[in-house]
Amino acid sequence: MYTLVHAIVGYFFLMIVVRVLTRRPGAQMTLFEFVIVFLMGGVIILSTVGNDRSVTNCTCAVICVGFLHRATSWAKAKSPRLGAFLDGTPLVLLKKGQWQDEVMQGMRLAPEDVMAAARTKGIRSFEDIDYAILERNGGISVMEKEEEGDK
Amino acid sequence: MPTQEVPFTKPVEDSVPKVDNAIAVGEDLDFQRRWWKFERVIWSFFLLILLCDALGLFGRGWLAKAHARTPDGALDLKYERIERASTPSIMTIKLGPSAIQNGQAHLFLSDDVIRPMGAQRIAPQPATSVIGNGGITYTFPATAPPATITIALEPSFVGAHHFHLGIPGSEPIHATVVVVP
Repeated sequence: MYTLVHAIVGYFFLMIVVRVLTRRPGAQMTLFEFVIVFLMGGVIILSTVGNDRSVTNCTCAVICVGFLHRATSWAKAKSPRLGAFLDGTPLVLLKKGQWQDEVMQGMRLAPEDVMAAARTKGIRSFEDIDYAILERNGGISVMEKEEEGDK
Repeated sequence: MPTQEVPFTKPVEDSVPKVDNAIAVGEDLDFQRRWWKFERVIWSFFLLILLCDALGLFGRGWLAKAHARTPDGALDLKYERIERASTPSIMTIKLGPSAIQNGQAHLFLSDDVIRPMGAQRIAPQPATSVIGNGGITYTFPATAPPATITIALEPSFVGAHHFHLGIPGSEPIHATVVVVP
């Protein structure tokens, strides 16, 4: 019984901490962010399972977290507002050659993060980027400028 | 051969707001600005929690340590007024000169110390232990002060627990321990 309560509290506590931390633990993780994710996961598991390390207890905790995740996903699909609260909304980082400074500073992102995403699409410089968007999952989508001839 | 229709379909709607009327992004900057304010509140709250923890408001710190003694100096008790569940701690009882008589010291501990506060061990080992009057009376062979008895605790019940301990012929010490999850 206590394990289930601890699992529920741990799940929602970890969810809010990761949510207010940054949006990047979901994607584009650097080694620095790996430390956060593994350390937090390791710490919360101690209080969830406690001294009872039996297979029964651990199985029940895993099933409980699975149910919580499924319920949360269902609620997010039903309520866009809850989805925005838990995952945020996409944010435009770069628009038509203009950095959106308020968003870049608010999300604690550097131009290098955008350029890293741009390079994966074969884009060589900032001048070639039309739009850069920070997605809900923490990834950065980059749209290349259309060539004059393409229009 | 007739084509099979898929049940429960609905037409695609352009419901995601566009940026520059070109890309469907669904950005909500007003929400994001409110979220950033909320983030600042949450981090201030987390900072407050860390500060309380450092001071010992959640146990194992300066504010958690407590000290009590009987007016005649027969008993001197050091304990933690805030304990953490399933976390070991030590309660120390120092016996004064009037606590030792005829080479023996008798110490009464109420049941609350034994069960809700999870007394694990008592050192030194008592010569006898007698149950009754809502607790246990231990008898220790003793010579002269200073003489110290330590009780290892590991509370498992969350909440406030009142307990008392004393020696025959002296006023008991009443105290409360709050066990946090």
